[in-house]
Amino acid sequence: MVLGTYKEVVAARSTDKQIQKLAQDGGIVSGLFCYALDEGLIDGAVVAGPTDVMWKPEPMVAMSSDEILAAAGTKYTFSPNVWMLKKAVRQYGLEKVGTVAIPCQSMGIRKMQSYPFGVRHLADKIALMLGIFCMENFPYESLRTFISEKAGVDFDLVEKLDIGKGKFWIKTADQMLTIPLKETHGYEQNGCKVCLDYVCELADVSTGSVGTPDGWSTVFVRTDAGETVFKQAVEAGVIETKSMDDVKPGLGLLEKLATDKKTKAMKVIDERKAMGLPVPFKGSGEKEDPLANV
Amino acid sequence: MSERVVISPTSRQEGHAELVMEVDDEGIVTKGRYFSITPVRGLEKMVTGKAPETAPVMVQRICGVCPIPHTMASVEAIDDSLDIEVPKAGKLLRELVLCAHHVNSHAIHQFLIAPDIVPEELFATAVNSVSEVRKVVQQVVDVVGGEGIHPSDVRIGGMADNISEVARKRLYARLKQLKPKLDEHVELIIGLVADKGLPKGLGVHDKKPLATDVLYGDRNNFDLDRFTEVMPESWYDDPEIAKRACSTIPLYDGRSVEVGPRARMDVYQGFKDKGVVAQHVARALEMKSALSRAIDILGELDTSAPVMADYDIKGTNKLGVGAIEAPRGMDVHMAQVADGKIQFYSALVPTTWNIPTMGPATEGFHHEFGPHVIRAYDPCLSCATHMIVMDDEDRSILKNEMVRI
Repeated sequence: MVLGTYKEVVAARSTDKQIQKLAQDGGIVSGLFCYALDEGLIDGAVVAGPTDVMWKPEPMVAMSSDEILAAAGTKYTFSPNVWMLKKAVRQYGLEKVGTVAIPCQSMGIRKMQSYPFGVRHLADKIALMLGIFCMENFPYESLRTFISEKAGVDFDLVEKLDIGKGKFWIKTADQMLTIPLKETHGYEQNGCKVCLDYVCELADVSTGSVGTPDGWSTVFVRTDAGETVFKQAVEAGVIETKSMDDVKPGLGLLEKLATDKKTKAMKVIDERKAMGLPVPFKGSGEKEDPLANV
Repeated sequence: MSERVVISPTSRQEGHAELVMEVDDEGIVTKGRYFSITPVRGLEKMVTGKAPETAPVMVQRICGVCPIPHTMASVEAIDDSLDIEVPKAGKLLRELVLCAHHVNSHAIHQFLIAPDIVPEELFATAVNSVSEVRKVVQQVVDVVGGEGIHPSDVRIGGMADNISEVARKRLYARLKQLKPKLDEHVELIIGLVADKGLPKGLGVHDKKPLATDVLYGDRNNFDLDRFTEVMPESWYDDPEIAKRACSTIPLYDGRSVEVGPRARMDVYQGFKDKGVVAQHVARALEMKSALSRAIDILGELDTSAPVMADYDIKGTNKLGVGAIEAPRGMDVHMAQVADGKIQFYSALVPTTWNIPTMGPATEGFHHEFGPHVIRAYDPCLSCATHMIVMDDEDRSILKNEMVRI
């Protein structure tokens, strides 16, 4: 169960050419949000929107497909989307909110829904949570160090960032630069070291590039709410799917990476616990399955 | 032979107070005294010396029944002290929150008096009606004020954010749909009050009404020079009561006054009926005025307009006054800001104005009607409590003498 509970896993991509061009991989998050907005399944979504500073996202409430597309693509530094949720149901007056979250944010949102302290009338208004696979997340300054110091490129020239095949990829108009992932270690957020969730186990639908070929995404459909939206989107032809058995490298790689992340994090958790430090997870001796996300 | 009837604490109101009535052989009240026995909160002292932004956040916690008027009065007082001109859309949003709160708060009061006026077979109907009304208007407070109970988005200089166009249209539709429901609700409450058959003239007194505006409040209509404040020692003729009373006695032109929905309607809408029934009727009718004003605001609001003014927090030590018409009456906060800190803060709150009026209003009728008279004012004591008994010699607090809860 290193990949969490799910109803179905498929390889998928958005059929919209514009989304394919703008999105990170298969355009699943953009595609599903645009579809859900058009169909009225959600009336807005909290996403990581662009700012004046390159690669520094800020949470924004998108209420149209255009706004969703403006926020397409992975940013690799955090966007505190959870903070914006309350604003979405207050000033924006939304009643069916969609949001995109990385695993730590999804844990926060689910906890908030269970104990809605300070967030009255918010818990029941989150209609769709899309999760993104995440191995680690970098503070903005770390990202700047990779790009301007390690790779030696001006931030403004970067067109796309990506992680894959053991490397951090930096694409500019005329060249493709890489940094080995080994060199990025130590630059991640401290919390990532104890995080037990790689595939966003608590989202309604979670997605990421790992496990499928370029231009496609692996999609886990996890909850009833997620299944409803995803199925409808596939039936409407907004998203096309393939069986995971037909694609390379397939689920095996995801299982390996998820197990690696959990094993590494459990070691750190146990070490921190032994030192008496507060860790928001159980130690390996305290739970049945040492790799469970609890 | 004179006898004393004491109700302590008086029930179905916010906070703790005591009603002491002297009655004759027939049980008719000859002398009524009403006073607060709620422990002092001291919030005015707590905010002194703090940054101005602290004040609205802290003083709204004076009370969970009218946090919105306290927030409004606080920001208005500080706006005045810092000479801030709030943008039009910001003013409209503030007024909108208060209008919604008026409807909500009046509905809560109708719930509190339901055991007095609603016959058993209609009880569920009346309570459901209250709940339906509250649900809709509280959504307005949630969306515009940022939080339903202690609004986080009412700020010095205006509002934290304008609302989205989607929110505006949605709230407009909801309030429009609420209108027929509210009309029905108001009719129900007025009918129930009439059917109760309270004696004619109950609660009538000769005190003047005091109000600053139809619904929102206007500092220009509150004349600080005409206001005086006396200690309970010089007001209550019973030394024991004078010692235990926890609120000061505010006077306007040297006399006690009545504030609240009936007072507002008396001053601004020519509603001249007096007494318990009139107060309930005025309160119910005011819900209609507040709803229709809220709908108007949502109709004219420009959601792309700025809602926050630019301002300098330093201040010149000007005495700023914020006068807000809270559901229970006029709520005046005063603040002085200098060197970026609050130098002086004082709150003259609705029920404080009513306290010296409420006791005498029970006179002339059987003491069993006393609680009806008190509840008609919708008293809310926690904000009214302003003082504790201190020994003037060594400034020590005389414990056990002050409150008995």
